[in-house]
Amino acid sequence: MKKIISLSVIFLQIFMFDSMAQSMKFTSIKITDSPIISFRIQFRVGSVNEPDGKEGLNQLTADLISQGGYGLVTYKEMLEKLYPMAGRIGVIPNKEVTTFVAEIHKDNLEKFWNIFEQVITNPRMDENDFIRLKDLQLNYIKNTLRNENDENLGKAVLEEMLYENHPYGNIEAGKISSLNSINLDDAKNFYKKYYTQTNLTVGIAGNFDKKFIDKIKFDLVKLPKGKTNVVKLTQPNKIQDVEINLIEKKTISTALSFGFPVNLTRSSKEFLALMIANSYLGEHRTFNGVLMNKMRGDRGLNYGDYSYIENFIQEGGSTFPLPNIPRQQQFFSVWIRPVANANRHFSLRMAIREIELLIKNGIPEKDFEETKKFLINYSKLWVQTQSRRLGYQMDSDFYKTKYLIDEIAKKMPKISKKQVDDAVRKYLNTKNIKVAVVSENAQMFMKDLLENNVSPMTYQHSNISQHILDEDRDIQKYSFKINPDKIKIINVENVFE
Amino acid sequence: MKLIKSILILTFSLGLTMTSHSENIFPYEIKQYSLNNGLNLVVIPYNSPGVVAYYTIVRTGSRNEVEPGKTGFAHFFEHMMFRGTEKYSDVEYNRVLKLLGADSNAFTSLDLTAYHIVASADALETIIDIESDRFQNLKYSKEQFQTEAGAILGEYNKSAMNPFQILNEEMSKLAFNSHTYRHTTIGYLEDIKEMPNQYEYSLQFFDRYYRPEYCTVVIVGDVNFDKAKSLVDKYYGNWKRGSFIPNIPKEPEQKAERTLDAKAPHKTLPYLYVGYKVPEFNDLSKDIAALNVISRLLFAETSELYQKLVLDEKLVDFVSGSAPLNRDPSLFRIYGRIKKEGDIDKVKNSIYNAIDELKSNPVSPKKLNDVISNLKYSFIHGLDNPDDVASTVSYYVNLTNDPISLNRFYSTISNITPDDIQAAAKKYFGSESRNVVLLTSGGN
Repeated sequence: MKKIISLSVIFLQIFMFDSMAQSMKFTSIKITDSPIISFRIQFRVGSVNEPDGKEGLNQLTADLISQGGYGLVTYKEMLEKLYPMAGRIGVIPNKEVTTFVAEIHKDNLEKFWNIFEQVITNPRMDENDFIRLKDLQLNYIKNTLRNENDENLGKAVLEEMLYENHPYGNIEAGKISSLNSINLDDAKNFYKKYYTQTNLTVGIAGNFDKKFIDKIKFDLVKLPKGKTNVVKLTQPNKIQDVEINLIEKKTISTALSFGFPVNLTRSSKEFLALMIANSYLGEHRTFNGVLMNKMRGDRGLNYGDYSYIENFIQEGGSTFPLPNIPRQQQFFSVWIRPVANANRHFSLRMAIREIELLIKNGIPEKDFEETKKFLINYSKLWVQTQSRRLGYQMDSDFYKTKYLIDEIAKKMPKISKKQVDDAVRKYLNTKNIKVAVVSENAQMFMKDLLENNVSPMTYQHSNISQHILDEDRDIQKYSFKINPDKIKIINVENVFE
Repeated sequence: MKLIKSILILTFSLGLTMTSHSENIFPYEIKQYSLNNGLNLVVIPYNSPGVVAYYTIVRTGSRNEVEPGKTGFAHFFEHMMFRGTEKYSDVEYNRVLKLLGADSNAFTSLDLTAYHIVASADALETIIDIESDRFQNLKYSKEQFQTEAGAILGEYNKSAMNPFQILNEEMSKLAFNSHTYRHTTIGYLEDIKEMPNQYEYSLQFFDRYYRPEYCTVVIVGDVNFDKAKSLVDKYYGNWKRGSFIPNIPKEPEQKAERTLDAKAPHKTLPYLYVGYKVPEFNDLSKDIAALNVISRLLFAETSELYQKLVLDEKLVDFVSGSAPLNRDPSLFRIYGRIKKEGDIDKVKNSIYNAIDELKSNPVSPKKLNDVISNLKYSFIHGLDNPDDVASTVSYYVNLTNDPISLNRFYSTISNITPDDIQAAAKKYFGSESRNVVLLTSGGN
């Protein structure tokens, strides 16, 4: 009990508004014994705000703000000021919000803030930096995404597919053609229009005092007031049967991703119930999920198999979700890590079939209880640092819900198996899904898919248990209805063009 | 089963013990204990109410793979260690972790294999029970072994298009003729494909290296040292010491520059990888400390080279350099991605000129102080949760078998002078110790 009492004194959450900065929102967490101050300065702007033909503009603008100097101070000079204090300003540009993330030791708080506030309110936006950052973004698409990581390529293609003709329909980096059409004035105008007080939420955690908060408000009020910016989204297009994009590329293995939009977010009442089902199906980078256990554990098909009920980006080398990428609309997806080309059809069948089994049979009682316990404990590890705690609090504010980690602890124990099974049946399906494949000999795979050819699993060895072989016989002929008008092959050089 | 129920908010703080150990870079007290069988225990109490990070460091990495055709086995065990024992099958082991809500994983490098868990402090005995059991009693069938070989191949395949995997493979083969650093941690593809037939060898590998004298347990967080000691005695006390000492071949001195033009299996911008031979880690070595400082002086975003190549002339998307901290002599590594094939030589010469400049002229005291200040604050920024603290300490445990080595090394760094920098640059950055791999487009 002693620990609980002391924590409640250490952590004090404040939401502040005052007359001087009425339109500015604050999320703050006071941690009295921390030597580090964490910032998350967030604007309600993202790729949804980009004009047609200027896709990638928000990411480029955000990078130019954080990596372009301020006022008369060049980026080079800014780096020299930040370096001795190990100050870094990172940015997470996303669909609907863009968040500048920084941490600094208390020894350097004042010096750092004087730079950081200028970066936000008075970015230099120099042509020289613009050219460099645009090059980097173009090379990310042309070189990194297309050629160096088939898994990320597949996931990016899927995201485009899920939101065709929708404001979410472009990856944050944009396209080659749109990036080529963006000039420095586009970035400057985009900054002026959207990086405003009205769109601003200041997140801060650590041992700051009221005087410092007053200074933040005084400094950031220099931003133009601006207009409220919440883009009203249309519903994504309905998916008809199984729609597939095959990205043709010379590879030694096949990357597979599939999914569909779901009308559910953290603010939905069934979110926690579906979270339990998803954890059972494919908790990210654990051996809890049936996909992982059956595909990798039993068959050695690949390195991992996971599922998600919202947009997921892994934070660095951890296994935890990156905070501050909230959205009004979400999607369900499955990530099958690269499999041998010979097993691509089998793997796709198997993953879809597992979802069908979940829908049909529901979550087993024992797994239901154990998964709940897992999530109640595991979710607390998502907020091990004050910066991540701050990010999660801001995300809860976005969704207008209570703090997610507390909600899991409070509400999850009361969720019933029936609620989980009902949520699965309401939100998941295996009939109308979109699939992104990165593989070679795409024509042959297309033929196999359309003709529903039997696809036996190829093992590296012959020492396989009978129960696995028995199940393989069902999987290899499992069928799903492909929309023949919505299956196409795209050369890798044409994606994101 | 224990739950993390005593924690309202799991945000950790650094401040409580910062001042009492301010003479050292590492701000926390390090407590140590050795069992008679050779197992070491390192305990670091840390203000993370209700949570501990539990690391088991095996001082065995791909460096220990001494037989031809058997590369990748240290990494293979990172996988096999999750396959269970008689007491806790793989399903049961995972179930225990699942009910704890633990974050659990492992990683392998040239020099070590690390197994880590972050979970409720209340569950410390459970964690010690399952971890000590699998390190002493791992048991897997031939079928499990062969199945896991498929996952290893999948892991190789997922990075097959990654230029750094290709560059590292090629550089290792180019720079090392005898030493086991000649192969990368995941191993050669042909050895990975052969793994399903190496069940018997895997048992031998485990028997050699999964022994107490190769291991250190590091516990960070809400933990009492005496309690940890008695639990470690109880659960690891009967673990039998082994006798195997690998004969890791010494690498002969390199006498001339080596170069290689490699082709990617796809279209790519050119990647340049330059590696200079440098010595093994020693926390008191001014040379090693100086090389670490040099990596920042030459390649930090404030360096003249970075500013020239990235910011001003925009010849590269990025350029970076790092000094190794390895148990045996290895490479000071320089990477860059060049925007145009025609600029490859220009970029290469700019790097060499920056190095020559460092040899010819002493670095200014201000630049040196800025680097040391950056190192200090970067280090402190990186200690904001028990997992990161344990990971940092484990790194030094692996290098020297002594966590205090971390403080000694940073102390050596803080006393480096411009003369030390110049001397190290002259000593190690000669063209005769240089290896260069250039990766360019090979496919479509």
